[in-house]
Amino acid sequence: MRERLRQIFSGILLLVVAAAMLEGTALIQMFFSQKGLRNEASLRAESEMETAGVKILDIANQAEAAVRNSEWIAQWCMAFPDSLVSVSRRIVEDNPVVVGSTVALVPGYDRKRPLFSPYVCRDGDGLAVSSLATEEYDYPSQEWFVKPLEVNGGYWSEPYLDEGGGNILMTTYSMPVTDYEGRQAAVITADISLDWLSDLIADMEVYPGAQAILYSRGGEVMVQTGPAPEGKTTHFSSRVERTGWMMSITIPDKEIFGSIRRIAIYITLLQLIGVILLAVIIRSASKSEKKYQKIHKAQERMEGDLKIASSIQMSMIPKADTIGPEYKELDIAASILPAKEVGGDLYDFFLRNGRLYFCIGDVSGKGIPASLVMAVTRSSFRTLVARESSPAAIVTAMNDGLAEMNENNMFVTFFCGVLDLDSGRLRYCNAGHNAPLILTDAIRQLPVQPNLPLAVIRGMSFPEQETVLKPDDALFLFTDGLTEAENIDHELFGDARVAAALRCRRTAENHLKAMTEAVSAFVGDAPQSDDLTMLFIHYLGTEISGSITLRNDIADLPLLSEFVRKTAGEAGMDGASIELALEEAVTNVMQYAYPAGVQGSVEVSASIEPESVRFTVADEGNPFDPTAAPDPDVSLSAEDRPIGGLGIFLVRQIMDSVAYAREGNRNILTMIKKR
Amino acid sequence: MEVKIVTEGTTTTVSFIGRLDTPVSQEVAAKVEPVLEKADGIIVLDCKEMSYISSSGLRIFLTVRKAAAAKGGRVIVRDMNPDIRNVFMMTGFLNLFEIQEG
Repeated sequence: MRERLRQIFSGILLLVVAAAMLEGTALIQMFFSQKGLRNEASLRAESEMETAGVKILDIANQAEAAVRNSEWIAQWCMAFPDSLVSVSRRIVEDNPVVVGSTVALVPGYDRKRPLFSPYVCRDGDGLAVSSLATEEYDYPSQEWFVKPLEVNGGYWSEPYLDEGGGNILMTTYSMPVTDYEGRQAAVITADISLDWLSDLIADMEVYPGAQAILYSRGGEVMVQTGPAPEGKTTHFSSRVERTGWMMSITIPDKEIFGSIRRIAIYITLLQLIGVILLAVIIRSASKSEKKYQKIHKAQERMEGDLKIASSIQMSMIPKADTIGPEYKELDIAASILPAKEVGGDLYDFFLRNGRLYFCIGDVSGKGIPASLVMAVTRSSFRTLVARESSPAAIVTAMNDGLAEMNENNMFVTFFCGVLDLDSGRLRYCNAGHNAPLILTDAIRQLPVQPNLPLAVIRGMSFPEQETVLKPDDALFLFTDGLTEAENIDHELFGDARVAAALRCRRTAENHLKAMTEAVSAFVGDAPQSDDLTMLFIHYLGTEISGSITLRNDIADLPLLSEFVRKTAGEAGMDGASIELALEEAVTNVMQYAYPAGVQGSVEVSASIEPESVRFTVADEGNPFDPTAAPDPDVSLSAEDRPIGGLGIFLVRQIMDSVAYAREGNRNILTMIKKR
Repeated sequence: MEVKIVTEGTTTTVSFIGRLDTPVSQEVAAKVEPVLEKADGIIVLDCKEMSYISSSGLRIFLTVRKAAAAKGGRVIVRDMNPDIRNVFMMTGFLNLFEIQEG
């Protein structure tokens, strides 16, 4: 649960960081885009205003030029004020932009005409002349008259509505006229209509919803378009030269940044999609992690199952510690070494009615499939052994059973033997398995008919073969994992190395240990390629009649006598001489093996073999080889015969073979008497 | 093992009844020891009722035989069963003693 929370938290953290990065990028982009757009708006506004300004100037220039160009004539006409009207007429006639003109005398300049201002204006296609020198109008008080005289130069009047001329917005350019004496004599003017300004300014709508305003010098609104924009706006302004007017453009921000707002919306949408995608990816990643964990868990479970399967498989085959005292005629050892956790090799042995039933087999393939077939093969063997005593019958029945359910074309090489423990008679049947080795005076292969392996063809009959094991003979059965064990150079262990390892006779268990060591020394670091199984059966061929342990006290000798007589009786032999030999041998040990006063023991065991009886006397005393003593000279006269030395001589005389060995800390004297 | 010693004149008869094995050999040797003084005469070792003899028993026989040889006497071993006779044969003792059967 904790792990799950941690995963969710780290997923969310990742999402937040990713979203913040995207948003940050977008914000930076917005900032620079806005800056760019603002610059662009500024450029556009300025360029519009410049265009408008140039047009205004053009008109203004025309008006100014008309006035200036006529100044000298007006100057000249000062001497003849009545001709001044023609000056105005010319101005209007020659300049289409000029709608009206006057030359107004400075009051008092001409004594005859205290006020004089003939005004020429367009009237339809022609011109009309009127006088501005009226009391109501009082031109000397008008701005267009006062200002030029004040500044002594050209002056653009504040725009005004021409009440007489149809409420047209007008403006007037006026400049003083001086006479030749340099006195200010008059003011010459040119009126221009400003109705074109509306169109001009209306054209200045750079952005929808923007407002353009043309202010007069005095700040009066001359022309404006539309209503003032609402919300945040950006304001641009520019002064028109000469006239002193001010143009301004106010653009609503939403128009300037409208495009980028849309882009911003797109970007936000994209970001949203990105974050959602990321969330999906994180989720699927966490899912796949879960999946991985699931697989991992499944694998662990599988490994656990394999371990259990392995131990189940190992529990199917008899182990060394299950070999009980009932196997007294035999020394058996077996080992199985699967290449993987579970393998397809098997062996089994089983005692029933004085016979040893044993088998070894190798299922084709390795691993779990082979192990399943192995389990079936083994249980089939056990089932059949309970009722069949002929190896051929066992193998034939096993073959039928296995072939019937073999849909995977697996097969099993198999060797089955039945050893009669009393007689040493060995009956056996081979189904495609490699020939076991028989260890007698030499090591040779047990002659086997090859035959087909088990489970290949149903209804096959497998012939039985037979031989007799002498006591002390041994059988070595193995699977090809032994002979075909490979070293790093892909050399095989081979038959010769197997035989070499068997040459020195050992106990069954030590044989397998020695063989295992030889193989692993040969194979080295190369991986085990196949299951390796070995079964060693040493036929002692004897019934060990028993054993007796005595103190190193000759008072115990009657126990020995009784034991030996009993053994001899079981073997159907005359006990007297054997009894004597044993007494001599044991007395010898009692008297010489242990230092005087030291308590010790002597173990005597007897086994009845088909053709002989074997006695073994073992003690843990000082090493002493009684057989090393020379025989006494029995031809000597009584005077010369030594008193001692007869005991061991008698043993040699009575027994057919006497052998001494020191094994570990034990003296072992083995004596065999033929039956 | 029972040992009976009967002396009649110069002839001393020692009868061994039972098993002359190692455990009893010392005791038997002690019983037989006085007989050695009569080794200048005839000593009869009667084995009629002796069922078994080991090398320790043979030693006693050899001791008697050596004493007789030293004193010029005779030692007669009488009525051995086949097993004991076989032991005597194996050890060459048949050649050391006078053997009387039946």
